[in-house]
Amino acid sequence: MSLRKDEAIVLSKRAYGESDRIIHLFTLNAGKVSAIAKGAGKSQKRFMNTLEPFNHVKVEYFEKQGRGMVRIENADLVSGNSGIETSMKRMCSASFFTEFVDRMTREREPYNGLFLALKEFISFARSKDPAYADILHYELMMLDILGYHPNFDTCVFCGTVINDEEKIYFSRERGGVLCTVCSRSLPHRRWSPGLMQGFLAVKKFETGFETRSLEREAQELMEGFITYHVDLDFKSYKLLKTMVF
Amino acid sequence: MFYPEPIERLIDNLTRLPGIGRKTATRLAFFLLSAREGYITDLSHSLIDIKEKIRLCSVCFNITDIDPCAICRDERRDKASICVVEESSHMMVIESSNPGQFRYHILHGIINPLEGIGPDDIRINELRERILSEGITEVIVATNPNIEGNTTAHYIAEILKPYDVRITRIASGIPVGGDIVYIDPLTIKSSLENRKKL
Repeated sequence: MSLRKDEAIVLSKRAYGESDRIIHLFTLNAGKVSAIAKGAGKSQKRFMNTLEPFNHVKVEYFEKQGRGMVRIENADLVSGNSGIETSMKRMCSASFFTEFVDRMTREREPYNGLFLALKEFISFARSKDPAYADILHYELMMLDILGYHPNFDTCVFCGTVINDEEKIYFSRERGGVLCTVCSRSLPHRRWSPGLMQGFLAVKKFETGFETRSLEREAQELMEGFITYHVDLDFKSYKLLKTMVF
Repeated sequence: MFYPEPIERLIDNLTRLPGIGRKTATRLAFFLLSAREGYITDLSHSLIDIKEKIRLCSVCFNITDIDPCAICRDERRDKASICVVEESSHMMVIESSNPGQFRYHILHGIINPLEGIGPDDIRINELRERILSEGITEVIVATNPNIEGNTTAHYIAEILKPYDVRITRIASGIPVGGDIVYIDPLTIKSSLENRKKL
């Protein structure tokens, strides 16, 4: 049995038995880790307030060779979740990204970039209500880190550089824009002019979409893309859509 | 081990109860086997009654056998304020320390997007209807002081903003009899923010 020390973001917490808690942590160096916090339900000293969702903590945990779940020995708060509770926008978006990271990664697969992106978004959501463009920016960033980033620059089939005016064909299956020639032979959907440029601007954190209707199209495109490539139903996304978008 | 089928079935059913493993279930089954018949009849009737007679109060959504529940029928309670809690068990705890003082509203859950639970899945709309129909002037939000409980409290405050009602939140801070040395930084911060004039 070895004691490990790491930084982590608490993804979720659920009760286990009378006073124990099962915690999903996203650690900086070991990726996602499932852990048990013994006595966390009643301890006034060790874990009080530290193992709450969205908290950034420094943890010490015992790991047994060949065992899936680790035992949290100590957790110190680096930065808490205060501020997120003040609006449904903040709560739903923070929940969406923690669920996203939880379900898109496998245990013990470290993703330093993803850890930093999640930490950055939580910090953002603590101070400000995120708009759709902010949420999309972090979603694209995380998809990029995980290797699922949609291509908005060049034709995803032949690699041709496409003029901004011609960036209207998007192939969900191929995961990017198509040039006019390739669009004749490959399945795609035609979107409004300006949408792909909007995505590129959001990706660079420059501006949002020019109109509300373009924003709606962007949501639709992303939902189709995620459903096709990831095939996961995020519980928090439904609420995010109702309460925020 | 091979017990006769009725005992095996009883053990299986008892094992489904929270915190009961097979060993405890077997011990309980043998206790019931040797118990007097009157007790067994009483126990089985009690189990059937909780399914047949217990329902939710149509006013506050507390569990009750008579609708409205005893608390809602009690005319001596303060009619102007209402205490909002997550579960009936939370209401019992508040009631035991402040007997006969408040009327309640049980949400039957808490906003938790990670579990897909939103405001429409708990009794928040019913709370708004009560505010409009019962002339309530103060809503005391007594949800747990964690991220889900605080979010629910803020959401309630947000949706009740248009109404002429005072919304208060139970205080959180150093527990009575606690030692400041052992209190975590967040609790200290909260207790300083919520300090009161002596």
